[in-house]
Amino acid sequence: MGNKIVVAVVVLVVLVSMSVFTVSETERAIKFRLGEIVAVDFKPGLHFKIPLINNVKKFDARILTMDSTPERFLTAEKKNVIVDSFVKWRIADVKTFYTSVGGDINQGNIRLDQIIKDSFRSEFSKRDIKQLVSTDRSAIREALITNVSPQALKLGIKIVDVQVKRIDLPNEVSSSVYQRMEAERARVAREFRSQGSEAAERIRADADKQREIILANAYRDSEVLRGEGDAKAADIFAKGYSEDQDFYAFYRSMIAYKQSLGKSGNIMVLEPDSDFFKFFKNKK
Amino acid sequence: MSWNEPGGDKKDPWSGRNNENSPPDLDEVIRSLQDKLGGIFGGRSGGGGDPEGAAMKGIGYLAAGALVLWGLSGFYTLDEGTRGVVTRFGAYIETTSPGLNWHIPAPIEQVQVINVEQQRFIEVGYRSGSGQALGSVPKEAMMLTKDENIVDVRLAVQYQVKDAKDYAFNVLDPNSTLKQVTESVERGVIGASNMDFVLTEGRSEIVMAIKAEIQSVMDNYKAGILVTSVNLQDAQPPEQVQGAFEDAIRAREDKQRLINEAEAYSNDVVPKARGAASRVIQEAEGYKVKVTAEATGDVSRFSQLLVEYKKAPAVTKERIYIESMESVLERSNNVLVDVKGGNNIMYLPLDKLTNKTSEEVQAAPVVHESVSTPPVREFKSDIRASSRERDVRGR
Repeated sequence: MGNKIVVAVVVLVVLVSMSVFTVSETERAIKFRLGEIVAVDFKPGLHFKIPLINNVKKFDARILTMDSTPERFLTAEKKNVIVDSFVKWRIADVKTFYTSVGGDINQGNIRLDQIIKDSFRSEFSKRDIKQLVSTDRSAIREALITNVSPQALKLGIKIVDVQVKRIDLPNEVSSSVYQRMEAERARVAREFRSQGSEAAERIRADADKQREIILANAYRDSEVLRGEGDAKAADIFAKGYSEDQDFYAFYRSMIAYKQSLGKSGNIMVLEPDSDFFKFFKNKK
Repeated sequence: MSWNEPGGDKKDPWSGRNNENSPPDLDEVIRSLQDKLGGIFGGRSGGGGDPEGAAMKGIGYLAAGALVLWGLSGFYTLDEGTRGVVTRFGAYIETTSPGLNWHIPAPIEQVQVINVEQQRFIEVGYRSGSGQALGSVPKEAMMLTKDENIVDVRLAVQYQVKDAKDYAFNVLDPNSTLKQVTESVERGVIGASNMDFVLTEGRSEIVMAIKAEIQSVMDNYKAGILVTSVNLQDAQPPEQVQGAFEDAIRAREDKQRLINEAEAYSNDVVPKARGAASRVIQEAEGYKVKVTAEATGDVSRFSQLLVEYKKAPAVTKERIYIESMESVLERSNNVLVDVKGGNNIMYLPLDKLTNKTSEEVQAAPVVHESVSTPPVREFKSDIRASSRERDVRGR
């Protein structure tokens, strides 16, 4: 009796487990009846099937990534660039996805890669490097999404986003870029040094100029002062000495003799007849 | 989903089941069930009073006990800063908060624990874990700028989970998605800027732009991620051109140095000139005062003497004359020559006389010699000689 109950319970459990399946939030599912698709678009949760007749396949419903290998593309100016990109996609239509790529994500990635490379090539050949690197990134992104989406939809794939990761120059071009950068820095360095010399020279010249001006002004002012002094002195002399010019001449000469003659070492060759010696030879 | 993301280490990634709170292991359950069943049936085979009823009763108890145990296994606790995402048969039911929670135990409901406050980070362009200080990853770090230069940029992005449900369900591997998006966005922003801007004043602006852009792309994916900060670890010219860049920086310093030197010169020269100018003027002023004062003095002396002179002109004049002559002759070597004879050849040993007297006169014969002899001396001494000659002449 107990035995039977246990067996019945076990059989029930097995039957139930064979006739239900769950779909999680991260999954999409297809229900088949003997190989024929009978239902798609299951909401997450518990669902039923007929054991042995129905079977169920589940697919990832999340945003998936197609990270392509870096590849060379030719730009409008015929330069090679290495481009690394990725595509974010998700399964839009499980049925189509199952029938077209067998529900295999890797297969999906490969197909997507082929489609997108082609589109990349045409977008890149329209633009030069400058546009690719700086201005046209979002334009390329949008163009690619609109170009690729219809084709991807045929695979049951919805393109969420296409992003260009790297746009790199090939090595040989990179080295010439480095050379150019070096030359440019050298130019900048030289400019700095020359500017320094220029400024320094200017400052020195200005200092020299100031010095000359200051000294010249000082000379002028000093000469003015001296002139004033001389003039005033002359005025004083003229006023003082004009009272008796003869006596002044005599007096001044005497001072001059005293000042200028008779310094030690001078030799005076004198005539005994001079006025000074009038008593020298014969006493009158 | 990776093994240790996002819920930490407490659950296995396939079932999303929290090990701590999960119901007892299936094996264990079966084993204990068998033990109990064995006990019951063993009792029966032992031949008890009413085996059928006892068995039924036993099974009833057993079922009830199992049900209670199963129900208890639905309790789980959430640490602060975590959220539990509850799914029933895979369908999202609710997000639970920290504390003690209960869910209908497996296999009906499951809980995925996600840490929403933990600061996670990714590194782009370098790896900090590699032992040395910023191990560079050139493939990620090198990028083109608008002016077609190449820069080496290293970025760290910190983020946390914004929405546990989105994080758990919407994107396969949100963390590596964030990294891919960061690489792409970073290059977009740097590619739209000039190199100098990236390397110098543009840093914070660029960081802000990158952060906003990453956030908008991740929101577009509904990845449930909040970018909390973007740090520009390093933005440098590539190693290949570092030398040239350093030289340019040195050149900038050189420029400043040259200017400073010139300013030092200026600061030296101008004040000195001002000082000299001041001296010249002071001297002139001194001279002016001096000449006027002297003139006044001289004139005053003369005027006073003149008063006396007028009283006795002849006597005074004679006296002054004699006194002057006296003072002149007293101090010089005098030679009296009577030139009345006229024809007498007079020899004065002037050189001998002068030898005894002063140095200034001693120089004279040398001068004559230098003039009379051919210029065999070197130029310098000629200069000296001629300047001496000039001296003497001036004297």
